[in-house]
Amino acid sequence: MKKNIYQPLKATIEEIIQETPTIKTFRLKPEADFSFATGQFIELTLPGIGEAPFTPSSDPKVKDRLELTIMNAGQVTCALHNMNKGEVVGIRGPYGLGYPLDKFKGKDILIVGGGVGLAPLRSLLFSLFSDIDKYNKVIVRYGSRSPSDIVYKDSIPKWIKKDKVDFLVSVDVGDPSWAGNVGLVTTVLNNLPVNLNNAVGIVCGPPIMMKFVTLKLLDLGFKPADIYLSMEKSMSCGLGKCGHCRIGKFYACKDGPVFTYEQLKGLPDNYL
Amino acid sequence: MDTYFLKNEDIFKFYDHINQKYDLFVPLKLKTTLKVKCDYGFDLPSEDYYLKKYSQADKAEIVFNDYRPIEPARTFFTHFKEEICAYFADDKEKSLKERPIAVFGLKNCDLFSLKIQDFVFLGGSEPDPVYKERRENALIIASDCLHFKEACFCRAFDINPHPTEGFDFNLSPLNNGYVVEVASSKAKVIAAALKDIFTPATLGQLSGRSAKRESVIRRLDEHLDAHKIPKKEILKDIVVSGYNSPVWQEQMHTCVECAGCVLMCDTCHCFLLADEALAENARRLRLWDGCLFKNFTKVAGGANPLKMRYMRLRNRYLKKFNFFIDNMGIQACCGCGRCIDVCPGKIDIRYILRRLYEEKYLPAA
Ligand SMILES: Cc1cc2nc3c(=O)[nH]c(=O)nc-3n(C[C@H](O)[C@H](O)[C@H](O)COP(=O)(O)OP(=O)(O)OC[C@H]3O[C@@H](n4cnc5c(N)ncnc54)[C@H](O)[C@@H]3O)c2cc1C
Ligand code: SF4
Ligand code: SF4
Ligand code: FES
Repeated sequence: MKKNIYQPLKATIEEIIQETPTIKTFRLKPEADFSFATGQFIELTLPGIGEAPFTPSSDPKVKDRLELTIMNAGQVTCALHNMNKGEVVGIRGPYGLGYPLDKFKGKDILIVGGGVGLAPLRSLLFSLFSDIDKYNKVIVRYGSRSPSDIVYKDSIPKWIKKDKVDFLVSVDVGDPSWAGNVGLVTTVLNNLPVNLNNAVGIVCGPPIMMKFVTLKLLDLGFKPADIYLSMEKSMSCGLGKCGHCRIGKFYACKDGPVFTYEQLKGLPDNYL
Repeated sequence: MDTYFLKNEDIFKFYDHINQKYDLFVPLKLKTTLKVKCDYGFDLPSEDYYLKKYSQADKAEIVFNDYRPIEPARTFFTHFKEEICAYFADDKEKSLKERPIAVFGLKNCDLFSLKIQDFVFLGGSEPDPVYKERRENALIIASDCLHFKEACFCRAFDINPHPTEGFDFNLSPLNNGYVVEVASSKAKVIAAALKDIFTPATLGQLSGRSAKRESVIRRLDEHLDAHKIPKKEILKDIVVSGYNSPVWQEQMHTCVECAGCVLMCDTCHCFLLADEALAENARRLRLWDGCLFKNFTKVAGGANPLKMRYMRLRNRYLKKFNFFIDNMGIQACCGCGRCIDVCPGKIDIRYILRRLYEEKYLPAA
């Protein structure tokens, strides 16, 4: 019989990395190989507790492992943060449309992340890095509340050194150990080394940050069709059936979660 | 389509035959002292019918329902709360094969709504396996409306009070029996087995059916004149342009957040996948959900794009008249009026649509 579309695949927690006080990366080993395209999301289920959507943060080329970077934000995520290596969870998916990598070819790619919003962007970075010849350059601007809230602290220094990559981190509030930029992420978007005629902007972060970054990018001259936004909506099925994630005439789970600003711009303020 | 005549006294033979292979549901009158009062001077019935599993013990109470039953048609295909699959692939499959269902008493509004449900649950990237199995195995025995409730407004959206498609059988009552249309191959097999009681319909019987149909339409149209419900072609236009209309807030003053409107709705389809923790294992449930519930769109951290009641009401209209018209080409409302009957706050979709229309096209009248 065909697999039931609501039935998750078993996956074992293999490794847990404490990124920040409230964010952990979980490396899962699914029972069977699991493929996804960068930007697509999955539904993570904790038996007896519930489900929540997450975008894998790992390299899409890896099929036998899956990494999720998750902030402790509520019922499901809190229970997950209390779990240990070896415990079993479920995953369903992948769902939605990911980043259209084809459209990024030969371009300057500006990536703006905020907080745990760097999770899906890490998977995008892996995809870009492994084919870096196809892209003109990659500019990353990552904003975090404080130095201790920065995720992927081990990887960022390596990424900064990469060819064709311009990576800058800014924190809202610094501390004595912090020698880098201080200020909201929008403050490090001036004088970007990008050719606006040949650039795309990719944004993922808390709703308020997305809003201001989008306005800033428009201001700088990015075209609405070249700004890609990851929309966080309440979701349940991931399949375009349960109705939770409607944005205008779209379902975020099926037509997104990545939308261009062009697709959303006519909609009222709260995207409904 | 083959057309037969079935005498009144033979209807139980028809039920008994179907009941052998199907779980048959038939209409009964709801016994209640609560009555909906009609304000429009028409002498309209206020009884309600409900559909109950066929049993010999109820024989004396089984009736023909003159209009749609109280429950939405979708109750037969997605249950209010049900286990949707085994938790993991290696867990014991929960479903004992269900007996197929046969439903007698659905009306044309319900058949219209099943188109919406089919679009959601059979369409998209993958069909819902539970819905698909129930729907494909089911036998739909539809029937003409002989009357209508005060809240019925199917004709406002050009939906007739008699079915012409989307059923296996359709029954049109005459004085001494029913004109029976046999549409599907499943139904043809049954009709062939019952040829003793199914006689070919005569021209006289067919014109009797037409006369009854026209009479219902005439009375319903007269009733609807008073409501001035906008045409279906303009629904999208008025809900979109009415985004900032005062009508949403005004109307929601009396909402008690019971969500009856979405749960009784024939065309609403939203659900929530939830887990139930049991001592030995967990179960995956699907529950009906709806945008009139406060937490429908709440995300982690508590942000909620539909924070206020009026936003949730407006969301319902945008979904029905904007999203569905964009994605499916038809409005997700059949005019069954169930949301009107159920609402303790007397919030009336006919009035809201009329207001949206008048605000745009007859301002400061
Ligand atoms: C496409 C997408 C990708 C995402 N990727 C990531 C990521 O990579 N990393 C990350 O940290 N976060 C990510 N998020 C956010 C993440 O999904 C939320 O943090 C998560 O859903 C929180 O779940 P929770 O149960 O812990 O929170 P809660 O606040 O307890 O629940 C969140 C919401 O779930 C729903 N819900 C829960 N219980 C019920 C109930 N009983 N009845 C009705 N509704 C209920 C409600 O809408 C509720 O507000 C992503 C979100 C989306 C949409
Ligand atoms: S039925 Fe009426 S009172 Fe109940 S939620 Fe709907 S609008 Fe509000
Ligand atoms: S919105 Fe009201 S009238 Fe329309 S289908 Fe739903 S219950 Fe029936
Ligand atoms: S999550 Fe169910 S429709 Fe999008």
